Amino acid sequence: MAGELSAAAVRTEAAPRSAKGNATAWFLIAPSCLALVVLFVVPIAYVLLLSLTDPRLSIAHYQRIFTVPVYTRVMVNTFVTSLIVTALCLVMGYPIAYVMARRPGWISTLLLTVVAMSFWTGFLVRTYAWLVILGSKGPVAAAYGALGHGQAPQLLFTTFASTLGMTHILLPYMVLALYAAMRKIDASHLKAAASLGARPIAAFREVFMPLSLPGVVNGSLLVFVSCLGFFVTPVLLGTPRDMMISQLINQQIEELLAFGFASAVAVVLLVATCAVLAIYNRFAGLDRLWG
Amino acid sequence: MLPLILAALGALFLLAPILVVVPMSFSTAISFAFPPPGYWLGYYAKYFTSEEWLEPTLNSFVIAFGAMTLTMLLVVPAAFGYVRYRFRGKTLVNLLIMAPLIVPHVVSALAYYGFLGRAKLTGTLLGVMIAHGMLAVPVAFLVISATLKGFDQNLERAAMSSGAGPLRTFWYVTLPILRPGMLVGALFAFLSSFNEAVVSLFIGGRGAVTLPKKMYESIRLESDPVIAVVSTLLVSTVALGVLASLFLRRRSAHVA
Amino acid sequence: MRRRTFLKGIAATAASAGPLIVTDRTIAQTRTIYVNTWGGSWTAAEEAAFFKPFTDQTGIRVKTVAPVSYAKLKAQVQSGNYEWDITAITQAELLRAEREGLVEPVDWTVVKKEKLFPNAVYANGLAYCALGTNLAYRKDKFPQGGPKTWADFWDVKKFPGNRSMLNNAVRTVQFALVADGVPVDKVFPLDVDRAFRKLDQIKPHIKVWWTQGNQSQQLLRDGEVDLIVMWNARASELQQQGHPVELVWNGATITTTMWGVAKGAPNRKLAWEFLQFAVQPKPQADFANKLYYGPTNPEAFKYIPAEVSRQLPTYPENQKVAIKPDTVAEADQTAKIQERFTQWLAS
Repeated sequence: MAGELSAAAVRTEAAPRSAKGNATAWFLIAPSCLALVVLFVVPIAYVLLLSLTDPRLSIAHYQRIFTVPVYTRVMVNTFVTSLIVTALCLVMGYPIAYVMARRPGWISTLLLTVVAMSFWTGFLVRTYAWLVILGSKGPVAAAYGALGHGQAPQLLFTTFASTLGMTHILLPYMVLALYAAMRKIDASHLKAAASLGARPIAAFREVFMPLSLPGVVNGSLLVFVSCLGFFVTPVLLGTPRDMMISQLINQQIEELLAFGFASAVAVVLLVATCAVLAIYNRFAGLDRLWG
Repeated sequence: MLPLILAALGALFLLAPILVVVPMSFSTAISFAFPPPGYWLGYYAKYFTSEEWLEPTLNSFVIAFGAMTLTMLLVVPAAFGYVRYRFRGKTLVNLLIMAPLIVPHVVSALAYYGFLGRAKLTGTLLGVMIAHGMLAVPVAFLVISATLKGFDQNLERAAMSSGAGPLRTFWYVTLPILRPGMLVGALFAFLSSFNEAVVSLFIGGRGAVTLPKKMYESIRLESDPVIAVVSTLLVSTVALGVLASLFLRRRSAHVA
Repeated sequence: MRRRTFLKGIAATAASAGPLIVTDRTIAQTRTIYVNTWGGSWTAAEEAAFFKPFTDQTGIRVKTVAPVSYAKLKAQVQSGNYEWDITAITQAELLRAEREGLVEPVDWTVVKKEKLFPNAVYANGLAYCALGTNLAYRKDKFPQGGPKTWADFWDVKKFPGNRSMLNNAVRTVQFALVADGVPVDKVFPLDVDRAFRKLDQIKPHIKVWWTQGNQSQQLLRDGEVDLIVMWNARASELQQQGHPVELVWNGATITTTMWGVAKGAPNRKLAWEFLQFAVQPKPQADFANKLYYGPTNPEAFKYIPAEVSRQLPTYPENQKVAIKPDTVAEADQTAKIQERFTQWLAS
């Protein structure tokens, strides 16, 4: 009986709207779809076209990317760096999100404020700040001297600096993604575990961590994909050997005017990003990310 | 106890730039030395009197406002259509709307550089508005569709059953309730354009230099602390905004 | 009532949309020219010596766009989207640009031959100044005496310290060759393979490859590096500010910077008016006195005191020990060297 009722309910819900309803829907959606196609998809398609036709019709650019060692290194470096940054963000972000979710009240609000402020301050401001902090005349070098270790080793214009900078900038994304998932974890689960005799650490490991996994995956995905396309920070804080894909694109355009090659590199980056998202979609469903 | 310590360290890590940038803005030296050798307001004066900084600031405001308008005009009807109606091809539409978020900014930047270049729109405010407007669509759509999903359509039905026509219902019932969500969506669109750096670098040219583009060039071309001044002003505005929203939430919680 | 305000709003928005699309016509109407410049101290000196006096005299406004980029010149001529009309460019680069059809021929209806000096015109550009790219270092880091040659720069044992070099392919190759023992008058044609072998030795010791003049000053002034490749006037500026910086002329390159007008630039007529003004003795001397790059107009030296003259790249003693330039050879080899250098940097 209940089944029939609910089936009937489903049927009325799923009953197709009148033709008028459908037309209204399209009327509302058409402007944005049209705008997106003309003003977004077409430019991107143009990049793809350029990668295959500038200066002549060929796949030479793609061959260059995957055979010339310098360029393959850039690709590999981008992926490895993104993985490292994602891992660092996860390790640093998890405690922050945990405290935010489990300790409501002023602590949670304070942390949220710090994260929100960090999030909304553009990445240029933060990159500049790291230039000052890690510089030879900055606080880190001063601390080294004060603690009697003599002159600080070179910190700026190193892989360390650029990785640190990127981690700092992407950390709020990770924290917010983790927090969103952790907030939904019902505290009663942990209480139940405690009432069954589990010590806090065990309860955390066996109950909380697995439940926070969707947040971990979401955050990691967000940070990883953002890091793949990172541009300004590695340029200003790192070394030429750490060149990432976006920097390569910019360099090819700015210095060598190699539109075709730069487009090919851009397409590779785009395909890689889509591939990562497609894998995520296969296992978790893309709407989870923004649902 | 341990999580608290780790969280505090993390928070300190996040705050570090702000703690550095604010004192730097008062520095007297044309260098990156920290702590600054001396303090004065000279570089604040320089920022507020130099055209080369004020023009990009104005440009950024104008572009962000225009982009926000473009985004909202497209997104609000689209959100209504998407959330309230069923139709074939919803997945494809969803993918299309989310596309600017999926595509890395540097790829969009390259795409717009070529596309707007051919339309002779690089280096113009309009060109940057179009690019930023498109890039902000996904974020605004997410916010507004989320608001719509949470909207109780019974209110509309009640109004209509009391005799109000569809347009009056929309104006007097739907819109006021949706207003906070729409404001948040608009704010997100505005901020995403204001803070956007990569696309602006490629398509800004000389006629549409945005504040982030000027800041990027300043880091590379100059070492005077005006960039710290700009950073401090930006951080302060953000801080005010965040505190204001917290305050408002508190008040509405009390009232409720 | 509502409808009227609505229509007014539309009209106002439409009217304000006008300036959103800046056309060449609107720029030409306000009589403004755009100059590509290196930023920082360079632009400041240009403002004082050229732009302000020119605007005072003619009413034509001058706006600057930084930084200088050969690629941008090519991009804007090819696409028709001009960011600037005039650029400061080295002689070799100007020759390259002229060969690629990127430079506007001298407009003799505006520029008067009698007002020019001998050798003022080359490859459709007007001579600007003599610029030195030197070795500079922190005196306080080397109390026993600092490096005197490029071979010394390469000697990390005798002269330890952080190093930075200019991110420019041809300059770097020239310095490597001199460091490897090539005499300064036999540097051209550049033996690229030999240069890169030598460069491999120093690469691990280069902390940063700088691209902007102010950046080089900040690096040396803040002690980020102890030895650096630096433009002579930027080093002199640091000395004037009281920093312990020493400048070496041995093995420096002295290149002539030229003014060039981009082909098809929207304000080219006004541009040539400006350039005619800029090459006169007084403006050239004003520029040299502010930023120690040598003037190319011989008459300008009348206005330059002796102690300043000695520090300019035009000073004979400095020219004697510097690398002998060969503009044509440099123009021939630049593109290939650039590509190899870019790849070498990233590997």
